[in-house]
Amino acid sequence: MPEHINCAEAEARLLDYLKRELTPEVAAEMKAHLEKCRPCFKQAVFEENFLLMLETRAGRGTCPGKLRKRILDLLRAEAERG
Amino acid sequence: MAEPSTAGRSFDAEALPHLDALYRVALRLTGDPSQAEDLVQDTMLKAYRAWRQYRPGTNAKGWLLTILRNTFINDYRRRKLEPVAMDLEAVEPHALYRAVEETDPEGAFFSKIVDAKVLEAIDALAPEFREVLVLSDIEGMRYAEIAETLQVPVGTVKSRLFRARRQLQTALYAHAVEMGYIKPREG
Repeated sequence: MPEHINCAEAEARLLDYLKRELTPEVAAEMKAHLEKCRPCFKQAVFEENFLLMLETRAGRGTCPGKLRKRILDLLRAEAERG
Repeated sequence: MAEPSTAGRSFDAEALPHLDALYRVALRLTGDPSQAEDLVQDTMLKAYRAWRQYRPGTNAKGWLLTILRNTFINDYRRRKLEPVAMDLEAVEPHALYRAVEETDPEGAFFSKIVDAKVLEAIDALAPEFREVLVLSDIEGMRYAEIAETLQVPVGTVKSRLFRARRQLQTALYAHAVEMGYIKPREG
């Protein structure tokens, strides 16, 4: 397979690749590049850890119980009104 | 109490599981717990009344977040004298990775930062950047869904995300340096 992606292009697309937002063709080129290029692979590990950190640290807040109850009560009232 | 209707039951099953996500996003958009509560409540009522328009089995979370975001824009966002003097198109020149590749290539310093500081750094982003980052990287919406929600091209979502992530990394790194979690790069 011809080399389509250089390191600068790989860096620009890295996060989109990790989020699985690239077309299959470009994703395949990225994968091939990361398998060959150690510096870009290491950067991919760093960016992956960043994304994982964000998801876990900022994604675990929950809806307060009293708000949940208030909403359920409102919806019931709304349903009864028809 | 009357037996819940079929519509009521499907709303309970498909919409209620997303209350946590709605509250998280509301909190990030408004930056204020009591406003976030009102926003979630308004969103759920609107969603309930519009439930016929939701196609069962499609992405309920995305549908609800779209209502939440529109409600926020229309009813909550204080009308500021826009626009902020900020160049939304300019790009941060360097990835943070360059600064840590020698000292902490895997980004271990991220795990030392407390949750509250992570959230604070997210809240400090410009609204245009904060909303795409929250929807994509915290709530897991696809770029195309976000584009539809915000009524902007996918390319705009991508470029805002790119900058949002770089700015957030830079802010977290500065905090980590300040706290001594990581040594700053020489020179």
